[in-house]
Amino acid sequence: MSLFSFLGTLEIGLIYGLVAIGVYLTFRILDFPDLTVDGSFTLGAAVTATLIVMGVNVLLATVIGTLAAACAGLVTAWLNLRFDILHLLASILTMTALYTINLRVMGKPNVALIMEPTILTPFEGIFGLPDMYMRVIFVAICAVAGGLLVAWFLRTQYGLAMRAVGSNKRMAQANGIVVKQKVYAGLALSNGLVGLAGALFAQTNGFADSTMGIGTIVVGLAAVIIGQSLFASRSMYVIVLSCIVGSVLYRLAVSLALNADFLGFSASDLNLITAVLVALALIFPKLRNEWKAKQAARNEA
Amino acid sequence: MICCKDLHVTFNRGLPTEKLALRGIDLTIPMGEFVTVIGSNGAGKSTLLNTIAGDINSTKGQILFGDRDVTKLPATGRTADIARVFQDPLAGTCGDLTVEENMALAYGRGQKGRLSSALNSKMRNVFREQLSRLNLGLENRLESEMGLLSGGQRQSVSLLMSALQPSTILLLDEHTAALDPKTAALIMDITSQIIAEKQLTVMMVTHSMRQALDHGSRTIMLHEGKIIFDLAGEKRAGYEVKDLLNLFAQAKSDGEELDDDKLLLGA
Repeated sequence: MSLFSFLGTLEIGLIYGLVAIGVYLTFRILDFPDLTVDGSFTLGAAVTATLIVMGVNVLLATVIGTLAAACAGLVTAWLNLRFDILHLLASILTMTALYTINLRVMGKPNVALIMEPTILTPFEGIFGLPDMYMRVIFVAICAVAGGLLVAWFLRTQYGLAMRAVGSNKRMAQANGIVVKQKVYAGLALSNGLVGLAGALFAQTNGFADSTMGIGTIVVGLAAVIIGQSLFASRSMYVIVLSCIVGSVLYRLAVSLALNADFLGFSASDLNLITAVLVALALIFPKLRNEWKAKQAARNEA
Repeated sequence: MICCKDLHVTFNRGLPTEKLALRGIDLTIPMGEFVTVIGSNGAGKSTLLNTIAGDINSTKGQILFGDRDVTKLPATGRTADIARVFQDPLAGTCGDLTVEENMALAYGRGQKGRLSSALNSKMRNVFREQLSRLNLGLENRLESEMGLLSGGQRQSVSLLMSALQPSTILLLDEHTAALDPKTAALIMDITSQIIAEKQLTVMMVTHSMRQALDHGSRTIMLHEGKIIFDLAGEKRAGYEVKDLLNLFAQAKSDGEELDDDKLLLGA
């Protein structure tokens, strides 16, 4: 792998680290499998890119894109909480609707940002750094800052209440926690993070495309699972940051598999590779425990 | 302190599966009284507790705490007054959170979740001190995951959690039913201590006639959603388990076999 493609992989892995944190919030914290992210990733990108092309300030465009994605999360939460639609199904409905909304927002299947200013523009040539390094450092700072904020949040009273809602609704309620409010907040935060990732992706890669969000959920889940099987910890900071590490490792593994000539993979094999990687990450902790149990038995004998 | 006026609860109203769970409960429990609630399965004991706690909306009637009408208040709005311990030891705590995180949730019961740190050293000291009352060594396991504790240990912690915040009402729904006799006795002991310390108004649902007579100062029996008798004072003091059973048989003399209720005979 060339240095250039390595840095590119790192950059995408870090951006998807934000997606992984969002997925961690819904899947693990709230126990609310949320497929909205496939649509809200694109929504964040589409809204931000369209606003930038219209000449809106890049920072403001990014914030609006993020908020739009957070609203998509609220819609899913509303369908589930108000009308008792199964969470998975509610999120699929929102995701499906978002596909059309994204096309409407952009007015066409994709928007190019090649000649437009982006959130990276002010940092070009800073400290004499080549752009490819600067971009990686920029997204790394975004991902780690996002991760630290989320970890801090989960350790507050409000965040602890959210974790209780995902773990035991009845207990949460008996302790005066308004369950619905926490689910709304969690889905908004999760999808907001995913939308921010979409907005950053559009600006670092120079485009927004109506199909860019497909498979976001699987990638996010892969990152969460890889991260958690490598770092077993109870610390919120370790757990959240391991989502980012998991995301980067996932991208590196995919990129290695695609680049290794002797394996003979092509870009179209991506989904199979993803599925195998996720399966391996799920199998690994179980095999490790079985192996440890066997060793312990042998030591006793 | 707790006052139920003509309380009705109907499940699946208007549907073929309609069930009248409570049919006109009139009950006044003065401040500081400890009432035990008995009755066979499906009599409405848990429904009554859940309605008072706000988990279930009443279809008719009123619930007052003191002179405050709470009939329309949701469960979360009542948690400043009510502490609860459930029958299922897994229901009162979060298995994915640590012992101290669970206790922190109960410590903040009835308060708005704020963006300040959920745990601090002052809280930890309170938790350690409370846990040491159990003599289970849990004071050294604040950072253990709740899911790793046994059912009895989890129930003990639930009980302590119910007393972390000042409240006036304690609702116990067969909270010792799922435990072995020794642990059940320990839990009952600590329950009595807490009730005496905090001078709580208590309702305890139990399947054990013995427990119903041994604890508290008043016993009510529910049958088909109604209070069929209400014992207190000297009359209650003279009662034995077999007297309760006789009373129960009389009330149920509509042709049902008492044999079906072996559960009622429990120690």
